Amino acid sequence: MKTSNQLLLLGMLSALSATATAADGAGPAAVDTSKWKCESCKFETGVSGTLEVGAGSVSDNSAEFGQYNGLYEKGGFAIGDAAVRSRGEDGTYWNLDASDLGLDSRGLNVEGGKQGTYKLRLKYDETPHRIWDGALTPFGGSGGASLSLPAGFPAATTDAMPVAGTLQQVDLYTQRNQLGVGASWNRSKEWEYAVNFRHDTKEGNILRTGGAFFVNTAQLVEPVDYVTDQVDASASYAGKKFQLKLAYYGSKFRNDNHALTWQDPYTAINGETLGQLALPPDNQFHQVSASAGYQFSDKTRGSADIAFGRMTQNDSFLASTQNATLVVAGLPGASLNARANTLDANLKLSSAVTDRLRLNAAYLHNDRDNQTPQAAYPSVATDMFVGLPRTNQPYSFKQDKLKLSADYRASARLRGSIGADFDAHERTYQEIEKTREDTAWGKLSSRITDKIDLTFKFAHGERRNQGSIQWNPEITPAENPLLRRFNMANRTRETVGLRADIALAENVNLGLGFDSSEDKYKDSTIGLTSGKDLNLNGDVSMVLTERTSMHVFANRQEIKSKQAGSQTYSVPDWSADSKDTIDTYGLGVKHAAIPDKLDIGADYGITRSRSEISVYTGASNPAFPGISANLDSLKLYATYRMKENMSLQAGYWYERYDSKDWMLDGVAPATIPNVLTLGLQAPQYHVNVVRLSVRYKF
Amino acid sequence: MTIKKTLFAALLLLSGVSFSAAAADAEPAKAAEPPPPPPSLGTEYTETGADTCLMCHVEGGGYPVFAIFKTKHANRADKRAPFAPGNLQCEACHGPGKKHADNGGGPDGINSFKSSSFLTPQQRNKFCLACHENNARIGWHASTHDANNVACSDCHKIHAERDPVLATATQPEVCYKCHRKERADFSKPSTHPVRFGKMACSDCHSPHGSTSSGMLIKPTVNQTCYTCHAEKRGPFLWEHAPVAEDCTLCHHPHGSVNPARLKKMPPLLCQQCHSVAGHPSVARTPDGLPGGGAGGEAFLLAGSCLNCHSQIHGSNHPSGAKLMR
Repeated sequence: MKTSNQLLLLGMLSALSATATAADGAGPAAVDTSKWKCESCKFETGVSGTLEVGAGSVSDNSAEFGQYNGLYEKGGFAIGDAAVRSRGEDGTYWNLDASDLGLDSRGLNVEGGKQGTYKLRLKYDETPHRIWDGALTPFGGSGGASLSLPAGFPAATTDAMPVAGTLQQVDLYTQRNQLGVGASWNRSKEWEYAVNFRHDTKEGNILRTGGAFFVNTAQLVEPVDYVTDQVDASASYAGKKFQLKLAYYGSKFRNDNHALTWQDPYTAINGETLGQLALPPDNQFHQVSASAGYQFSDKTRGSADIAFGRMTQNDSFLASTQNATLVVAGLPGASLNARANTLDANLKLSSAVTDRLRLNAAYLHNDRDNQTPQAAYPSVATDMFVGLPRTNQPYSFKQDKLKLSADYRASARLRGSIGADFDAHERTYQEIEKTREDTAWGKLSSRITDKIDLTFKFAHGERRNQGSIQWNPEITPAENPLLRRFNMANRTRETVGLRADIALAENVNLGLGFDSSEDKYKDSTIGLTSGKDLNLNGDVSMVLTERTSMHVFANRQEIKSKQAGSQTYSVPDWSADSKDTIDTYGLGVKHAAIPDKLDIGADYGITRSRSEISVYTGASNPAFPGISANLDSLKLYATYRMKENMSLQAGYWYERYDSKDWMLDGVAPATIPNVLTLGLQAPQYHVNVVRLSVRYKF
Repeated sequence: MTIKKTLFAALLLLSGVSFSAAAADAEPAKAAEPPPPPPSLGTEYTETGADTCLMCHVEGGGYPVFAIFKTKHANRADKRAPFAPGNLQCEACHGPGKKHADNGGGPDGINSFKSSSFLTPQQRNKFCLACHENNARIGWHASTHDANNVACSDCHKIHAERDPVLATATQPEVCYKCHRKERADFSKPSTHPVRFGKMACSDCHSPHGSTSSGMLIKPTVNQTCYTCHAEKRGPFLWEHAPVAEDCTLCHHPHGSVNPARLKKMPPLLCQQCHSVAGHPSVARTPDGLPGGGAGGEAFLLAGSCLNCHSQIHGSNHPSGAKLMR
């Protein structure tokens, strides 16, 4: 950021401080509360809550339907939910919430203690992620760190491989289990100390998109066996005018598998029979931070945050190659000793200069200073060819952002804001060292009548490179000099938003929204040249009768972009258009069929998405086949109160999903001569779920 | 219609209606009688505190007032709680209530916390911040929500045994009241598990203010993502620069029509930034599909570029400079 900006910020901050006056408005009169007996207050002590038990059934297997909800297998499942509260006279309490106890998406939250003195917390949560049905691979040992092939391999191409008789079905999934414990202690009304610990395990098999040998490759199943431990410890002070928080955050990641080794399914070209790739290395991050807020006066407040962090990684290096026939120089060390320091700071001041005008200023600084040592590493291309040594490029990033704004309340019905953001980025080892983006924005909110609220906002941003473009000679082969990467390229961005909330009648509300964002990269000859995102939405909520309410919404989004490329490493000779269109609709109805006895309801959701891609080379190029996904989801539910404290819950859920994707559809393991795939297909499903349970309230 | 035209038309429309509204607002009263004074907060407390309030705000009334006694605000053993002995009970949050009670109710004199209140959201929020301006709320002032006139009570239900915005499964519906685009995002084919009730908006966002753009729980996008995806933190021997800079350059965290929440399908996604001589710069057309006759299926189908460059998030392998090991 330029020095002038920093001076501007300081000037602004000092000016705002000067406007601060200590003239707090006249407060309420003092009060004698000795007669405030609160005899009508119904304070609750003892244990109360609800328990729910029951059973359900799923009609079909589907990883896509059961992605995260545990309902991925055909068959029955148990329903178990609980919400229990206990309150003591002396302020002791505990809350227990349990959900989905019969599924592997179960969760449990327990919190207790003595309110105002201490709090203990326990959280246990399971999140299944079913990724794909029907992955097919000839490799044995899937789920482990070493993949081997049966007899008949290798072969020159996939169609010559004996895949038909050797394919095994493998589930692609992860299961994340999280255990959290925490405690906080209120030493006084002002001081609170807290420590929270979170232990995540993630296990399973995921798709490793490729293990390549020169021009041949294979999709592999990668084992996941991660452990992440995180700790947050803090001391917080909350005074009338001054607040402070000092904190430490630590995160430690461990991977039980450091490498994935696989047999080459293709006929060896240069003596290679095995491939090995590095799996995510163990790493750590430690951060100390301080946040403070100060109320200079009733009208002026400032806050500041600063956080120093350090990320490190020092996993032992794997060998440069598994190919013993190659002669490769030694590595410069046994491990990388990677380290990057982070500094994140924020300073913010806001002041109500008058009853109608508020001025705000904020300054933000983020820095990832990668101090990883550089060295030349001998390289072996895909375990086949010894190449020239390569030097690692430890990328660093720095951001300085200044935000200035003013909020003005013209009347009770009309408010406006204007602002300017100055965003400067610095990068190392990349072709553009500095960029700066200046954005001007405004917003107007008006209550036109008691029934209509309108909000309009816009922003115009200009991003420009600072200095010359210097391509990094270490990155080989060289990029086309006409390429401009979209995150650094000169860009004009315009965004517009309009929102209307209209009370059509006493019990009918309409919401309409329009948002548009358009990016132009007019100096980018090759690369992304434009992007557009348009969003339209409408909502209607209605209370139809005393017993019936309804909600309807519709949303359309269009995402478009254009890009250009050069096949001849010169001027652009091809271009591409991409367009995604997503329509989402929802309808929800609630109805008290028999007041205080039977409640019924329904939710129906529809999502239609389609992607159109066209690539133009000057020849007659047809568009790619459409990529689409259609989701229909219907949920019906009913609650029947059998007794005051007991009810019957019934639910039916139907979901249909249909998708088409030319990247996957019809691509069997041996379809592509030089890619041995897992044969994954675009998902489709029809699933019915019924559930019946009894809820007991006590 | 271009954005400029849209902007101009919308500005014209809104300025017209806004100034009409402002003018209407400023019109003098037509009646001969002087207009009533504008509503204001009372300055005197009631005689008996909550007992005064609960004479009118009875159980089973229009608003479930009594649920407050199931909440932390009504824990009498906590000296900080409004209903602790000596504290101001209902009037701790709603303000001195004598004027409201003497008027027989109505909006004048009291902080109703309703959006129709005569108090601005900032004025209403002051009652909450008097006790809660700590921890994540230190930076509430001039935060995105504050600047957009969001009141605490727009999201929080104080008179409820369980505040829906504090539970993972029910929180998103609260946020979707305003964030309608995000509601649609989470219905897309590739999303985080918000739709399944296993993740809440607040797992990534800090609604009370934050030092980062997008109101994230950590100072940067990547630090936020690493709280669940620490395996991508590195630092790696061979980094992919945009990955180390900002995950959202390639991924849309709320949802996408493309796999893995990618912003665009490969190979076009990759070709936005890679145009070296050789295979990365080649235009991949439908001729490369099976039966198209041009070959090159490996660059289009299955994982596209990732069929070989699978270490797209970085590699710690000595021979991983091309992100293939």
